[in-house]
Amino acid sequence: MTTDPIETLDADPLGLSPQVSRELRPCASYTLRVNGFERPVTDAWIGESLLYVLRERLGLAGAKDGCEQGECGACSVQVDGQLVAGCLVPAALAADSEINTVEGLSAAGGASDVQQALAASGAVQCGYCTPGMAMAVHDLLQRNHRPTEVEARQALCGNLCRCTGYKGVLAAVQTVADARALVAEEAEEAAAAEAARSAEQAAGAPGDTPAEPVAEAPAEVPGGVPVEPGTAVEPPVYADAEAWIEHVPQQPVAPHPADQAQAPAGTPYGDAPGGYDTGVYDTAVLAPVQGGIPAQAVDDQVYYPPQAYPEQPYQGTPAHGTYLPYPDGQQQGGYDTGYDAPVYEPTPAHGTPLPGAAFDGTPPHGTPYAAPHGAPAEGGAPAGVPYGATPAHGIRLPEDDHAS
Amino acid sequence: MLPASLDEAVDALATAPAAVPVAGATDLMEAVNAGRLRPAALVGLGRITELRGWRYEDGGTAVLGAGLTHARMDRPDFAALIPALADAARTAGPPQVRNVGTLGGNIVTAAPAGDTLPVLTALEATVTLARAGASREVPVSHLLTGLDPVRPGELLTWVRVPLLHAPQVFLKATGRSGPARATASVALVLDPARRSVRCAVGAVAPVPLRPLEAEAWVAGCIDWDGSREIDPTATAAFGEYVAAACVPDNYGAEGAWEAVTEGPTAAAARLRRTVAVLARRALGRALK
Repeated sequence: MTTDPIETLDADPLGLSPQVSRELRPCASYTLRVNGFERPVTDAWIGESLLYVLRERLGLAGAKDGCEQGECGACSVQVDGQLVAGCLVPAALAADSEINTVEGLSAAGGASDVQQALAASGAVQCGYCTPGMAMAVHDLLQRNHRPTEVEARQALCGNLCRCTGYKGVLAAVQTVADARALVAEEAEEAAAAEAARSAEQAAGAPGDTPAEPVAEAPAEVPGGVPVEPGTAVEPPVYADAEAWIEHVPQQPVAPHPADQAQAPAGTPYGDAPGGYDTGVYDTAVLAPVQGGIPAQAVDDQVYYPPQAYPEQPYQGTPAHGTYLPYPDGQQQGGYDTGYDAPVYEPTPAHGTPLPGAAFDGTPPHGTPYAAPHGAPAEGGAPAGVPYGATPAHGIRLPEDDHAS
Repeated sequence: MLPASLDEAVDALATAPAAVPVAGATDLMEAVNAGRLRPAALVGLGRITELRGWRYEDGGTAVLGAGLTHARMDRPDFAALIPALADAARTAGPPQVRNVGTLGGNIVTAAPAGDTLPVLTALEATVTLARAGASREVPVSHLLTGLDPVRPGELLTWVRVPLLHAPQVFLKATGRSGPARATASVALVLDPARRSVRCAVGAVAPVPLRPLEAEAWVAGCIDWDGSREIDPTATAAFGEYVAAACVPDNYGAEGAWEAVTEGPTAAAARLRRTVAVLARRALGRALK
């Protein structure tokens, strides 16, 4: 009995009839609560991991798919407040749980303090591990406000990074911990002052002038970072990491706010008003956190010595092939000058002996090795070893000294 | 699918025996992601809060819920009860895995490198397997060796561990400094009431191994009534004894047993050295 193979294939291209498919591929519909939003998932295979559902069905691609074994930590998310590997959680069983992903860290569009500190401390290179790292750091600092370095290392031991190593991440942990401690301290002081003031008012003294308003608590961006009331919230670091600033040579006392304003990233090179562009890529203004940077580093900015730069405005890179005279009149080359450079000599043909070195070409195999090129004889290969041949075992080679 | 109590879970398993009970899912989802397992249905055990703690029974026994996570077993209050189990839980993996991985899951998965298994073997724990309307007690070693496996529709609910009030040590050798699978692990507990030393070696065989002769020999070397001291040479000899008992000569050899004619293989020698060092250190620390 023969069957038509094409017909067999066409009848069931996937090899699964619908009934069999339903049995082999049991599906479920459920609702996930992700970052505070109810996200329905319909007709998903029950074996799908939370990572897959988040990325492929809900479009939250922050958590990364690294190893699918729970080894790498790139898929770290929080389920019910606990850090878990998203690839090892069946999504169907995470229904009714509170799921927090890395997208939830930056609630209002700006990067959280953890993310900013990671970027500022150089912990990001290829960025694949970074969402998991951010979640791990976030989870660590939720549970432990002042982690020691050992605790930080233990908390991050499940997140693998093959680019930058972990020093930047550990620095970011300390940065965020310090910044948050500072904010908490300020809030405490403000609360104490408020309490003292209310107590004072309750004590009477109706004729007094109303007490001066207590230094208002710093406004907070979502990550809990203090921002000066006048300044606008800076865009997230991830959106545009280019930040060119001008350094105007002037006295550092009482800098005008306009001088500190940074040029927009799209400003043409050299066209910035009020000074020349030093082109200094200053990380001090990159991160509005000032977490990693001490606060005074922003206030008294580093002013570069003005004499180090020419006084004329920079005119930008000339087009390719353009001949520009050098500003100080020195002639370094050109087509129409009396430039007496060394005469150009073509590369000699292969095998031509060079005038300086007594290079005689590669000797034939088996020629005894005779300390060529002026190398000291005692540093060379042992006497009697044929050139190019592997020396006998047990002879100490010069590289052995370097190895040990 | 997400029963809130033990009875509901057992009933759900009785109605659908093909369903897979899922606690932490760290081993299950690894198999599912790799395509080795296609579960017909899942019964999530994460909502059964009664299994996530422990209780005491007639003075000398702790009854641990199967849903105890490794992170919970790592905490100091649990470490004061069963220190070796806490050590094993601490080194079991990264925080992401320990936060969800459970004691019961570790037993049922019975991975060769499961870290809690040698501890439970050395403690001679027993487990309770519940099914609809009944339950039975099985020694954990019988469960692991397949002498008395989990039957369909049964759920591992409790783990009964004796409280010995004596030093316990769990040591583990891995390939790297971070969390990793054990290449060999040794759990050693002292039982002063019975004047015995119980030792189990994990990760060198599909199941944890008990070097019974070495245990009996070293128990005779210990001055139980005094300061529990032992000659250092006896400690070293115990390590060698354990290693020789647990690692066969043909370990890692390909082909038949007869292919190995002279001496242990290189892999066996290396692993024996690891096990010997671990066992020697474990005994030394327990008697310190």
